[in-house]
Amino acid sequence: MTATLEVSQIEKKVDDFQLGPINLQIDPGTITALVGNNGSGKSTLLKIIMNMVNPSAGHVKIFDTYISHEEDDWKSYISYQPQTVIGYNPFTGNKLKELIAPLYPNWDDALFLKLIEQFDIPLNKRFGKLSQGAQQKLSLALTIPRNTALLILDEPTSFMDIPSKQYLSDILVDWMEQGERSILLTSHQADDIQKLADYLFVLQNGKMIGNFEKDALTESYKRYWMNDALPDIPVSGEVSRNGKQIISNQPDITEQYLNDNNLQWLDRKALDLEEIITLLLAGKGRN
Amino acid sequence: MELPIRLSKDSREPIYHQIEKQLKALIASGLLAEGTPLPSIRALSKDLEISVITIRRAYQNLENEGFTKTIQGKGTFVAKIADPIKQQIKVSTVYQAMEKAIETAVSYDYTFQQIEGIFKEILTTYEEDKK
Repeated sequence: MTATLEVSQIEKKVDDFQLGPINLQIDPGTITALVGNNGSGKSTLLKIIMNMVNPSAGHVKIFDTYISHEEDDWKSYISYQPQTVIGYNPFTGNKLKELIAPLYPNWDDALFLKLIEQFDIPLNKRFGKLSQGAQQKLSLALTIPRNTALLILDEPTSFMDIPSKQYLSDILVDWMEQGERSILLTSHQADDIQKLADYLFVLQNGKMIGNFEKDALTESYKRYWMNDALPDIPVSGEVSRNGKQIISNQPDITEQYLNDNNLQWLDRKALDLEEIITLLLAGKGRN
Repeated sequence: MELPIRLSKDSREPIYHQIEKQLKALIASGLLAEGTPLPSIRALSKDLEISVITIRRAYQNLENEGFTKTIQGKGTFVAKIADPIKQQIKVSTVYQAMEKAIETAVSYDYTFQQIEGIFKEILTTYEEDKK
């Protein structure tokens, strides 16, 4: 199976900031969340994928086509929604649709109208006059119906209310089922990631920490409440401790160690994704 | 359709196995009758907040063991299950639930006698409620 997107050894240096080397593969039918602290290079990576920023090294391939300035073919495979869309302000929703729809052969007008209705966006108002939330919704309504193999969304829900977020995740799930499609999205909202993502690609200050399958990641972290005092030296698998609590990212090894040393624990609980991401971004628990 | 599946992330049992077991129990109990469509992998993934990779693994195991049948382009459906197998799953589901309850009690240092007492007490209350 050919990957939908392949990012190989991508690097970019901007002043003091060094992004990469980044390797990322996205397979058809999967949703990947790009996760990282502020300024970790998420948006820059998306712009490199979209050929809006030139990398200092490496290449990006969509299916079998290299992304480059010379060729335009790859553009029909990707739709991209940046955090801030530039150039929309003077136009109404109606006009924007007229301009965008003809560029995409698979444009789904029924889906566009459904989104407009559900999000309750006025199409006769200028984009610049809409609230941030409405702008975000209109941008989504202008992006999702393009029906490309890869959909890239940069912080799609940051200004959205809870019902709209709920609705968007239903729409994206439906959209995924229409074919061999994939989504790459960035979000600081843990519940977006929890609901939608299959993989978490974690970036910290430009460095790639890893591409984790969501459930494998969740299952590998456990918190233990100890009965006995802990030894001064770290316990096998330990990534963090607080009084009589320890967090391990290798529960099997930790439990073996605790048993071998006759250390009793009272309870064991899974961590939620938000805590795991926080630990990863704090540089804890990397193997 | 949302399925009554409850996952325990604290458990040692892998998530795909929990999903597989609970789907089997739903099929054995008749709640999911022969021919009933299962949710798509992506839809169940969203409902349970679990990746499609895990759901696919559970679905594949169900298919391999003959609990479901996938028709290309149409979806996954509950297959015909022989009664002895249904019976066997019912028995093992009940046994496992009891074992789990006993494990919990033992981990809180209850004696077997105390556990038996609790069991009888709950059973009596339950019987009275049913009347």
